[in-house]
Amino acid sequence: MELHPSVPAFAFAVAVLAAVAGVVQRFKFPALPLYLLAGLVVAPWLDPEVIEPLPTLGLLMLLFSVGLEFGPDRIDEISGRASRAGLVDLLALPVGVALGRTVGLDWTSAVLLGGVVYMSSSAVIAKLIIELRRAAAPESELVLGVLVFEDLAIALVLAFFGGHGGALGMLAGALLVLGYLALARWLAPALARLLEAASDEFVLLLGTAFTVGTAVLFNALGVSEGIGAFLSGVMAAGLGLRDRIEHLFAPVRDLAVALFFLAVGVSAVSVFDGLPLLAVGLVALALLVKLVIDYFAAAAGGLGVRRRVLTSLYMVPRGEFNLVLGALALAHGERLVAQVAVLLVLASVPLGAVLIRFGPDWTRRLGPRKRRAT
Amino acid sequence: MRVEETVLPGVGHKFTVVTHSGDKVVVLVHQTGVREVYFYRDDEDDAVAELELSDEEARELGAILAGVLYRPEVSGDVRSRVKELTIEWIRVEPGHPCVNRPLADWLARVPGVHVLGILREDEALYPNPPPDLKVEVGDVLIAAGSRAAIDNLKRADCRG
Repeated sequence: MELHPSVPAFAFAVAVLAAVAGVVQRFKFPALPLYLLAGLVVAPWLDPEVIEPLPTLGLLMLLFSVGLEFGPDRIDEISGRASRAGLVDLLALPVGVALGRTVGLDWTSAVLLGGVVYMSSSAVIAKLIIELRRAAAPESELVLGVLVFEDLAIALVLAFFGGHGGALGMLAGALLVLGYLALARWLAPALARLLEAASDEFVLLLGTAFTVGTAVLFNALGVSEGIGAFLSGVMAAGLGLRDRIEHLFAPVRDLAVALFFLAVGVSAVSVFDGLPLLAVGLVALALLVKLVIDYFAAAAGGLGVRRRVLTSLYMVPRGEFNLVLGALALAHGERLVAQVAVLLVLASVPLGAVLIRFGPDWTRRLGPRKRRAT
Repeated sequence: MRVEETVLPGVGHKFTVVTHSGDKVVVLVHQTGVREVYFYRDDEDDAVAELELSDEEARELGAILAGVLYRPEVSGDVRSRVKELTIEWIRVEPGHPCVNRPLADWLARVPGVHVLGILREDEALYPNPPPDLKVEVGDVLIAAGSRAAIDNLKRADCRG
């Protein structure tokens, strides 16, 4: 009997991931950025199509966890300082849109580019903050609060611009997204008691079916499936399942997410074919715009100079939503935005990891003056 | 002592504790159960000491800090008061109506009490005792709650 071709490909992919994780562990450096780069290297020998649906599920689960952890219900929990910073940070969105219009994109593509410029990756940044032990620092609290804002903002942007069915699709998408948000807010808490007695196995299977099912439904209605997965996470948080699902999904999710990042690296190779200089320029501008705006966002959040610099450095990594926006742009026929999105993720995740790892050492001189002991 | 709790989405909860002497300690409780403890001196921007604990280690350390294993005063019932809450060591005397009943039976009758641990002679401490643990004569319950609730626990009557 012959093995299905996906099995050896899966074995190879996981072996690559294991090798990367093993090597990286010795240097106290997070593995996620290296999965991306490993994907670039092994691209000639790995076809991500063969191991589907794992990479796709990886993205959906990543967005589900973002919805679970960074959903709009968190808005009530984050501090006023983080809210002010979140509003300043929001400026990156119109700046990105303006950038898109300047280089001659149509409105939809420009909005998608605005999202690509604006969004930082909640999933990647939270993982880096945990692995590099930065969670106790004041800037981490601000950064995580701002990310809650970004995820809500992009959910609304995608509701209106993520569809591919013209004006009707736009309306359907908006209604669907707002409907899910409303259900998560008002109906889910009432149902939470029913799930308390449910077994772990049931919660795991129902959660998976609901998430993937929602993604399929959204896609069928012409709305981004990514936003469907995100909203499923918001719903799960509303049902009071946050801790349980975090616990149940974590190992499965980590494997799928690692495969997804490897697959992103592999498919990024094709982006380099005929890469226009304009795309490279836009990536550099996107990084720069966000760095400057987030410095002022941190100032609005009441942090000192050193912590402001660190806040902008922490916000560098891009990830899940940028790739969703890139895929939508590609479906819309705008290859440039897709190239910018993929290249931005590829550049910003390793760069951000280095900045978060070494930033606190490099910026020590900017900190408050030490008082001399007498 | 000032304690401030903040939620870190995707990470866990952060407790910032400023002691009476002005030292700052930040305790992170990760969703995974891992705890990180950071100590800050007031003239330093970065933590001068850090500590990582597993869930189990953190509980044990917490029990030591709470005076569960050794308490400086040994006579009578010791109460330590945190605002309106109190922690009390209660010895189960022979003839108590709830002797040999599971802990859950005790707690079902007295809302507002949390049993942090049970000390049993010649046996290890039971930190966070499971509700089905049978309470025996001579056990010492380490109970936390309001004063009224703790008094109710002493008088709990499982026969009714």
